[in-house]
Amino acid sequence: MTVATQLRTPDELALMRKRILAARTGKKVSISICAGTGCRAQGSLDLFEEFKRQLEAGGIEDVEVRATGCHGFCEQGPLVVIFPRKIFYKGVGVNDVSAIIEKTVRNGEIVQPLLFKDPVTARRCELEDEVPFYAKQQRIVFRNNGKIDPNHIEDYIAAGGYSALVKALTKMTPEDVCREVDASGLRGRGGGGFPTGRKWDICRKQAGEIKYIICNGDEGDPGAFMDRSIMEGDPHAVLEGMAIGAHAIGSQKGYIYVRAEYPLAVENLSLAIGQAQALGLLGVNILGSGVDFDVEIVRGAGAFVCGEETGLIASIEGDIGTPRQRPPYPAQSGLWGMPTNINNVETWANVPVIIDRGAKWFAGIGTENSKGTKVFSLVGKVRNTGLVEVPMGTTLREIVFDIGGGIQKKRKFKAVQIGGPSGGCIPEALLDLPVDFDKLREVGAMMGSGGLIVMDERTCMVDVAKYFLSFLKDESCGKCVPCREGVFQMNRILSAIVKGKGKEEHIAQLERLAKYVKASSLCQLGATAPNPVLSTLRYFRDEYEAHIRQKKCPAGVCKDLIEFRIDPGVCTGCHLCARDCPTNAVAGERKQPHRINLAACVKCGVCYDICPANAVKTG
Amino acid sequence: MSRMGVFICWCGANIAETVDCNDVARYAGTLPGVVIARSYKYMCSDPGQRIITDAIKEHKLSGVVVASCSPRMHEQTFRKTAATAGLNPYMLEMANIREHCSWVHTDRKQATEKAKDLVRVLVEKVKRNLPLKEIEIPVTQRVMVVGAGIAGIQAALDIAAADKEVVLVERKPSIGGFMSMLDETFPTLDCSQCILTPRMVDIMQNKNIKLYTYSEVESVDGYIGNFEVKIRQKARNVDMTKCTGCGECWHNCMALNKISIPPKHTVKQKTAPEVVAAVNDIAAKYQDPAGMVIGALQDIQTRFNYLRQDALEYFSERSGVPLSRLYGVARFYSAFSLKPRGKFIIRVCLGTACHLKGSGGIADAVSRELDIGGGETTKDLQFTLERVNCLGACALAPLVTVNGKYHGKMTITKAMRLIDECRAKCEKSVV
Repeated sequence: MTVATQLRTPDELALMRKRILAARTGKKVSISICAGTGCRAQGSLDLFEEFKRQLEAGGIEDVEVRATGCHGFCEQGPLVVIFPRKIFYKGVGVNDVSAIIEKTVRNGEIVQPLLFKDPVTARRCELEDEVPFYAKQQRIVFRNNGKIDPNHIEDYIAAGGYSALVKALTKMTPEDVCREVDASGLRGRGGGGFPTGRKWDICRKQAGEIKYIICNGDEGDPGAFMDRSIMEGDPHAVLEGMAIGAHAIGSQKGYIYVRAEYPLAVENLSLAIGQAQALGLLGVNILGSGVDFDVEIVRGAGAFVCGEETGLIASIEGDIGTPRQRPPYPAQSGLWGMPTNINNVETWANVPVIIDRGAKWFAGIGTENSKGTKVFSLVGKVRNTGLVEVPMGTTLREIVFDIGGGIQKKRKFKAVQIGGPSGGCIPEALLDLPVDFDKLREVGAMMGSGGLIVMDERTCMVDVAKYFLSFLKDESCGKCVPCREGVFQMNRILSAIVKGKGKEEHIAQLERLAKYVKASSLCQLGATAPNPVLSTLRYFRDEYEAHIRQKKCPAGVCKDLIEFRIDPGVCTGCHLCARDCPTNAVAGERKQPHRINLAACVKCGVCYDICPANAVKTG
Repeated sequence: MSRMGVFICWCGANIAETVDCNDVARYAGTLPGVVIARSYKYMCSDPGQRIITDAIKEHKLSGVVVASCSPRMHEQTFRKTAATAGLNPYMLEMANIREHCSWVHTDRKQATEKAKDLVRVLVEKVKRNLPLKEIEIPVTQRVMVVGAGIAGIQAALDIAAADKEVVLVERKPSIGGFMSMLDETFPTLDCSQCILTPRMVDIMQNKNIKLYTYSEVESVDGYIGNFEVKIRQKARNVDMTKCTGCGECWHNCMALNKISIPPKHTVKQKTAPEVVAAVNDIAAKYQDPAGMVIGALQDIQTRFNYLRQDALEYFSERSGVPLSRLYGVARFYSAFSLKPRGKFIIRVCLGTACHLKGSGGIADAVSRELDIGGGETTKDLQFTLERVNCLGACALAPLVTVNGKYHGKMTITKAMRLIDECRAKCEKSVV
């Protein structure tokens, strides 16, 4: 990036946008390569370098190459999209680069083997919009992901970035902004679902000069990674949202609290902050408006409870991140005792669009009480895993089957776990439930930050409940007794059940403990901790009973209740299991049925997973 | 010459079933000095007691052995019986042939022989007994509490509240102990000074408490109720009635630190120059107080691979953040390690998506292969295994990272291969 000169007025920003767009008119084709964490892990950075090298070597100048943020369809990575037609290639390797340049870039032809094949219809999709994974999505939060290079502020400005900030600063009073956001019906995307505009207004009305704004990027829910994707792929959207919020509330300082596990998010955000400061979009007297606002990044250090707002504040203050009693709410007394407004990453990223396109437009999307879209991380035993953004009110069936392509390996769908450790499991009977804040709560789950984990018949629901409780037991900060001891005891009971030591009275004990923990915990971590147990008990009680009474795990997951054996009639003698068994417990000649020596078997499941003939059975 | 009487009790079937009581009585009669030996069904019953009193009077007995149950049951009974017959109660002893014999044995012959042995021993003991007299002696109603930490302080206050005199002895010049060095208490994070200081003041104001600071207990003699204690009060030439505890003399004392624990001002000399330089750089980075502690700890960890004690001490001194707080933070957050970590940090993601796809088994397999648990490091400092809750790349589940590099769609077999690759790299670097 060239050294930027400070923009002093909104007009200078508009001029800059014009100049960037003018410089692009010479470029016919633009290749966008996903450089999100998922595709990076699969080698997309090498791909990017290779494209640049070959284009340069070939003397091709009218083509742009961009390393963009996450495209969402991580499973099929590395992803390459070729604009303007939006030709969609998946699983691209370095060796494919020359073919793409030769055929697609030069001659506009399609490289067939790189196209996505719809597993349901077996049709090859040429364009991104034809891929069923994208076809049903409506991308508002992800408007720029996959299109712009997060490390170039020019890309963001060219895509209309910071125009909402200009609008808020020049045409709207702080009251106007709060009213607009309130009218849009935007609710907090971090899980609670509190109306954002109202939250801002409470903070705006607090007396005092110093107020803080915090962006909660401590995406702790296991199975959710949309916030990461936004911070990595479109950091300026978050900054712009925060700057608008700062104007509305009257704050001069903002903090973004990022999880320790997200180094790329820290890197991209730091770069973005530096660029915005250099252009005068953050700092003193932004665009001549008289508004001062600056942002700093605070890194977390791996504690789930810091996603709770009072815990997060304690953590920023440099203390152990234990929550405290509310009220006073952070809006009254937050960071360093000053009025503080905390919103989640996805919430902030929604703000610029709302200001830009108006509350009415936004309120036209979604259901009665849940407006706009929601990003879900669709993962687990579903065919198409990745990030999907759909309007509120989309049914689970559409998400799992139309977008997600159904269950892997033709297995049977069992449930969806939504909302992380605070959420619940939703069974097949409720698949037509329109997903919004209130509907989910009615069925015993919650929106959470939007992790949507699909489970098939080989998922044991008792094991899932045990998984979440053991997670929460580790993450409970230990400050209040109901959570510290209650969750510990619930986990102990569940451990006994999955080990085949369950007793008849255990279910009643779990229900009683759940009631107390829910009612008396200090923060939401504890108050929602029993949800995974309650919702699995509500819909999958028979599995608990099978574990307790018959000492059987119907899904074949709980190690103490199963044994692996090889069906000699099915085994082809391929020897794969014997080769990979860590304890050499599998014996047998090639092309002859194999056997498992149960005394040596550690039940790791390698043979079960690797068997191409499904000859390994559990029971 | 002693005149002994021996009385064997059957205790119904309790003793008689396994011990031949008549045989024991017969045997007792042959012992030197025994003038009468009898057995009876229930020695503790009225007729049984009368047998003893009658025998004492009739045979002018100088000592009695009752072979029956444990002395805990009936020693008092029989001693009173003996006293009514004019025998000094301490000239009566009991041989325990029930709990120590009949109840714990099944062989009647052996049990009988053991009962005889027990009786013989007791007869010989009583022969050597001297009559005892019960006397009353005054007890000093005063209590010494050693150590005036929070426990000693509270004990002293409680005893004083019961209107007993208390002598409280403290080795250091001031009371308060370790609690006076703490900021907050576990697990409620209550302010420790708010708990301690009012009690310290109470100690000074309480009329029942005599406080000896800067003193040590040198010897404890005597017995319950009448101990004699020597307390050495160290010289300090301070008129304690006028001292306000301002500390001026203490800080200016030429002999400071010689007779008490020296305050730790040694960090500067000890800290290695590279640690000082690194920590200075890191501390200078954080102008804003927000995120300073955790950010700096993370940088220190990145620089030294773990949180070294000397680096933490130096950072605490430089930044003014108490060392206890730094340690509290380091232990609370899972990203921090207070122990050296391996060259290869293998993190196995245990997020929900990864869990469903079997990451637990992968973590277990890595554990087995490296022979370490989660959060542990191999002895050769090559590998550290971390089980983390979600790395946020759920579409690649199950996920393993090695030194920050992502390896998606992991299987146990692939994980083993990854470890082998790391090992090959180690060997190469050694060569």
